[in-house]
Amino acid sequence: MEQQVITELKQLLGRQYVMDRLEDRICYSFDATFRDFPPDVVVKPGSVEEVAAIVKLAGQYNIPVTARGAATGLSGGSVPVRGGISLVLTRLNRIIEIDAANRVAVVEAGVITEDFVNAVNKAGLFYPPDPASAKTSTIGGNIAECAGGPRGVKYGITRDYVLGLEVVLPDGSIIEAGNRFDSEMAGPDWGMLFVGSEGTLGIVTKAYLRLVDKPQAKQTLLAIFNSLDDAARTVSGMIAAGTIPTTLEIMDNQTICAVEDYLQAGLPVKAEAILLIEVDGNAVSISTQAEHVMKACRQWGATEIQVASTPADSDKLWRARKAISPACGKINPTKISEDATVPRSQIPAMVRRLREIAQKYDLKMVIFGHAGDGNLHPNILSNKHNHQEMERVEQAVEELFKAALDLGGTLSGEHGIGYMKAPFLKWETGETGFAAGQKLKAAVDPQGVLNPGKLFTA
Amino acid sequence: MDNKYDEWQQQLVKCIRCGTCRSVCPVFQASDNENTTARGKVKLLEAVSEGKLALTPELQTRMSKCLLCKACVTGCPSGVKTDELFLSARRVLAAANGLPLAKRLAFTGLTYRRLFDLGLRTGAVFQNIVFKDAPDGIGKMARVSLPGAGLSQRRIIPPLATVPLRARLPETSRVVSPQARVAFYTGCMLNYVYPAAGEAIVKLLKAHNVEVVLPSRQSCCGTPAFTAGDYRVGRYLAEENVKILAAGNYDAVITGCASCGAALKHEYGFIIEDPELKKAWQLLAGKVQDITQFIADTGIKQDLRAVKAKITYHDPCHLVRGMGVAKEPRQLLAAIPGAEFVEMKDAAKCCGAGGTFSMTYYDVARTINDWKLDNAAATGAAILATGCSACRMHIADGLGQRRSPMQVVHTAEIMARAYGLE
Repeated sequence: MEQQVITELKQLLGRQYVMDRLEDRICYSFDATFRDFPPDVVVKPGSVEEVAAIVKLAGQYNIPVTARGAATGLSGGSVPVRGGISLVLTRLNRIIEIDAANRVAVVEAGVITEDFVNAVNKAGLFYPPDPASAKTSTIGGNIAECAGGPRGVKYGITRDYVLGLEVVLPDGSIIEAGNRFDSEMAGPDWGMLFVGSEGTLGIVTKAYLRLVDKPQAKQTLLAIFNSLDDAARTVSGMIAAGTIPTTLEIMDNQTICAVEDYLQAGLPVKAEAILLIEVDGNAVSISTQAEHVMKACRQWGATEIQVASTPADSDKLWRARKAISPACGKINPTKISEDATVPRSQIPAMVRRLREIAQKYDLKMVIFGHAGDGNLHPNILSNKHNHQEMERVEQAVEELFKAALDLGGTLSGEHGIGYMKAPFLKWETGETGFAAGQKLKAAVDPQGVLNPGKLFTA
Repeated sequence: MDNKYDEWQQQLVKCIRCGTCRSVCPVFQASDNENTTARGKVKLLEAVSEGKLALTPELQTRMSKCLLCKACVTGCPSGVKTDELFLSARRVLAAANGLPLAKRLAFTGLTYRRLFDLGLRTGAVFQNIVFKDAPDGIGKMARVSLPGAGLSQRRIIPPLATVPLRARLPETSRVVSPQARVAFYTGCMLNYVYPAAGEAIVKLLKAHNVEVVLPSRQSCCGTPAFTAGDYRVGRYLAEENVKILAAGNYDAVITGCASCGAALKHEYGFIIEDPELKKAWQLLAGKVQDITQFIADTGIKQDLRAVKAKITYHDPCHLVRGMGVAKEPRQLLAAIPGAEFVEMKDAAKCCGAGGTFSMTYYDVARTINDWKLDNAAATGAAILATGCSACRMHIADGLGQRRSPMQVVHTAEIMARAYGLE
């Protein structure tokens, strides 16, 4: 990159917010995926105007700009694959307003998800999206990748809570798409265009987010199944019967065994699957819901059902789910987490396909995920220094995406497309859909400045 | 690059870059820079091991921006032993680039036990030439900025004791019909800066019918040296201490300073290379106990005097994560009649001292310390107890800066008061 650009960036932001030494660029070269691409320069703007000025400057010099928050992504959306500018949004971290009367929050993009959730909670309301990375990830990143989480089955994902956005467009202009009103429809829902767009169409700097009522109570249950099909039938049967739990997590046998090896908590290692189910609502409704859940579990063949009556009991049931990550780390260091998603009725078929793939490529794989919305997390446990194995991983991942699409699913339930799945996006959209996407990108960002190498610019 | 970094790679490969370390790292929270997170540093070391980055002084600076508070170690879902990794990196970088002259001289000074002792005793006599009393008599402040020593004119430090702890007490404090015989490893801070806390520890032990030996030939534990990457000095001190402590036949080795304790109990395992001495250390490590642990295990006396005060407690990193001691000091404090023990928010979060970190990065250290002081103040406590002299010094500086009336004491001191041993 020309020194002139860096000089101008320093004039724009102040020296301490521009970093161009190799030691710093390396630190901003990655997210939670396993490849890295150092940017040429890292900038940390402190206002939307500064973001706009940076984007304008990048346009003048034709340099790629890749926005990022905490870079916890699992598909590579915030990784600057073509170098250029890494634009860090964490200084925009104000929770501007929590408007309880109108149930709307106004937040800047760099606010940490958990900080926001806690603030909403304090105000007596509830913000349901709950990605596993909530402690670290930012709201802007959640929006850009359209993050989900275990509560998706009942409450939906990030896009269901976005009312309006402040966005910096690729020409450096600032717009508001949508607004803070809940029931408003002035024109097309074009704010939605930016949700899940991974910073390829604009950079989200502020959001108006919908808040909902806090559930008064919740109850957690754990159901054990000898057959994976029974567990999956329980999921679709329960929902078809009208009970929509808050969370409906599945763990397959290999996951159970891995966690048991790690925790020694007496998990049923012979079970083919377990379901971790949570219902919420008011006190009366949760007991009715819990009864329906138990009935469904028994009807479709649960061999045992554990019900938590205290928060401590509930924590105990969640322990296994939360221990999956460290348990996997004990098996093999490089954990490749996918989020192929299928219609929930296809879960048994998908799990079987995944097992076949793991066997075919001789890979260790655990399968768990948010069964309620068909969002599975096949995790391949490998070692990135074993190049031969990593080649097999790549082939397996490709086949896994194909399997999801074959079964009427999608490439991503909540992780986004990023650089990792961009080469396969065409499989999902079809040639025509992909071409339409390319046209859209060209119309909004003719120079291709924003986050090249992702989505339709792969 | 050959196999030079094989050892690192085993840890490096485990990092899944999830960024959990961002949510627990105090330095990151104060500076919002990925190069202060564990995963950022892991990535830098990976670049070194792959030959993409040299052992530059720039890298050394970045590796030094870490409190070694171990919060990332505890928080890491993949179990990356970042503490060991970063110590090893500092060692490699110190070997490649050297250390600043002031540090080199200071560490070398530590190896000359008697000279070091003489230096600090002389320093106590002449300290008023360089330092003046801080307002309200709460400590000392530098008359002129001493950048080499990391002492800005703003910083309030405690005075050096005119008579160090080990000169105040006999080498062996006997009791009638002893239940046990222990060595009290005082370390430097309790000896030269906070001798009253050291005396309180000896009194507590004696009150439990324990014979206490203060080995006079003990050296500095070596933490300042080996955490900066100076393994030559670190190893020398570790070996000297193990020789001295292993020579006596003690039931336990008592520490009253979190960093000394963690060094003796764990860190020496990575430092000592001589196989015979390592064996001796392993036996010794099993005997190392923090004073609060020893008292809680022995059984807290029941006929305590009332101390009417609200008390809160700060967990030193090297006590809670380094030695696994958290419940014992709380048990002790809660046992004091009349006292109200109040837990502060984030009690186990680093106070920002981090050994020489607070000297090099005073402003960051102050920001982190302010969070601690805010949380402590929110409890309404009049007394903050802790078990690490470095934390104590840094917290006391912060309290002094804000003219807070809160007192910071060693847990043992307030216990000695309750035991009626003052």
